[in-house]
Amino acid sequence: MNIGELILVAIESIKSNKLRSFLTTLGIVIGIAAVIAVVGIGQGGRAMLMQEMEKFGTNMFGIWVNYRDGESFRLDDLQINDITVIKENVPQVKYLAPASYGQMQLRGSKGHKSVQVIGTTADYAQVRNLETVWGRFIRDDDAAVGRRVIVLDERTALKLFGPGNPVGKKVMLMSNSAVVVGVIKSDSSMLGFNSQQIAYLPWSFLSRLNGWEVIHELQGSASSKEEVEAAMNLSKKILERRHHAPNHYYAYSLEQEMESANKVTGIMTLIIGCIAGISLLVGGIGVMNIMLVSVTERTREIGIRMALGARRKDILVQFIIESIVLCLLGGFIGIILGYGGALLVARLAKWPPLVSGWTVLLAVGFSVAVGLFFGIYPANKASKMDPIEALRRD
Amino acid sequence: MIKINNLSKTYSTGAFTVPALKGITLDIAPGEFVAITGASGSGKSTMMNLLGLLDRPSEGSYLLDGMDVSNLNDDDYARLRNRKIGFVFQAFNLLPRLTALKNVELSMLYAGTKHEERRKRALEVLTLLGLEDRLHHFPNELSGGQNQRVAIARALINNPAIILADEPTGALDSQTGLEIMSIFQELNRQGTTIVLVTHELNIARHSRRILRMADGLIINDEEIARPLDAHNEIQALREKGGRA
Repeated sequence: MNIGELILVAIESIKSNKLRSFLTTLGIVIGIAAVIAVVGIGQGGRAMLMQEMEKFGTNMFGIWVNYRDGESFRLDDLQINDITVIKENVPQVKYLAPASYGQMQLRGSKGHKSVQVIGTTADYAQVRNLETVWGRFIRDDDAAVGRRVIVLDERTALKLFGPGNPVGKKVMLMSNSAVVVGVIKSDSSMLGFNSQQIAYLPWSFLSRLNGWEVIHELQGSASSKEEVEAAMNLSKKILERRHHAPNHYYAYSLEQEMESANKVTGIMTLIIGCIAGISLLVGGIGVMNIMLVSVTERTREIGIRMALGARRKDILVQFIIESIVLCLLGGFIGIILGYGGALLVARLAKWPPLVSGWTVLLAVGFSVAVGLFFGIYPANKASKMDPIEALRRD
Repeated sequence: MIKINNLSKTYSTGAFTVPALKGITLDIAPGEFVAITGASGSGKSTMMNLLGLLDRPSEGSYLLDGMDVSNLNDDDYARLRNRKIGFVFQAFNLLPRLTALKNVELSMLYAGTKHEERRKRALEVLTLLGLEDRLHHFPNELSGGQNQRVAIARALINNPAIILADEPTGALDSQTGLEIMSIFQELNRQGTTIVLVTHELNIARHSRRILRMADGLIINDEEIARPLDAHNEIQALREKGGRA
């Protein structure tokens, strides 16, 4: 009897007891569906995260001041001259911009709004991949001559001036005024980095408004992905030397952030994999249980088959194949349900569902393995039956 | 066809050993129609199981179709059952989830016969037994007589050396039983070797040789000069029924 015929026999036997077959395979269905859904959702989320992070450019890095316990904040830990020195001495650094953060009340012709303001230079637009909708971003000569200009993001512009191009209009901030020179595209990011409303000022202008000079962070980008590490570390070294402060600075790169995000999702996948494995184990035990019942119920059939010339091996293979087909069936239903689930969640969360071929292959492989493993014992029991005893049974 | 010499079978259940066959010597020639009769416990079932290669003798030799089968393994036994022996049982023993056609094909499946060939031969044999319009019926949709005819078709399909029929009429009414016996007689006339196990003397009398068993031994081996003719009996029954 060849494999094709054995599979047909298995399918016939499964079909002849539809409800029980379905209940038997339910554990496998749920296990596989859970794996496919969760992995699909997880991978989709991860892809989304990576995509979001890459919007900033993977070459990006940043440097903070690393305050330890008891250290007090100092205005001169990062200075505007540091940027010039780093750019001159580290060829790997392509762009480097200061970032000075604050919160300010802005007033336009149509309304007012308290927004985050960032004092920076022209490089910032390159580092963060900012896109201008109208006008331009801050230029180096703005800072040099201390021009009172401001760049708004789309949402802030809408709030202050209503729809339309606000370039050339005046914004009141504190008791000063500034001219809008550009509007940049608001980020619709799910990550929330940029989703708040933001206005950009030339760093020197913001310093004048504040009455002091401070740089909270340097943000830069390396000339290539491979050089991020070097750019980051060399910049840090120069700062340490210039300020005679070893270990006073903390550098990070988007690359690192992505790696740790990857690590986290990797661990999540592993945990979920374990849970799914347990549920498949339970499902497998269910299959074994029912296969044992089935073998007992079909004792007479086994006897008849043996009388007609089935070898023990034929009976063994028949029941193992039945178990595998049952699990595979469960696996396929599980894949469909799991994919549906992933699709639904992805639709709600607005990210692409990602069920890779590997996941499906793994699920199918797992179904077969469970069927094989838990089918062997009942099948072996069937093949060891005494044909005379088996024929005598009702 | 069958040559057994000093065949014995002892069952041991824990401390007890029960002799079921106590050294039987017997020859069955090709083309014979032998009935084995005896009360229950006489050893006829054990005899049947040994002849059918469902069980192994404790002692003695068994030559089937010229081949000594006393010392073969399970797989060889399965192969020989498949090729050399056609079983017909009291309870038909058809697989309930398979149609008549599929049930008949089953023996050929284990013989490794190709699909088209299986279909063709099953059709032939079922037609021969007058079941050509019942091919796709399941056993529970067929009468007892029809089921037994399907079982006979299944037994014949691999051209076995011998048909072993164990109380084939036991589950049937007398007229249907006669119909089955008439099929066996017709097959035997065409040269098929048949061994029939029955406790009913009326049925045994359709054979041409009756072996009477008791206590694990053959106590009587009798040629039947003029066996009953099932076909004639059916005719007679019909006439009687017609008059009544």
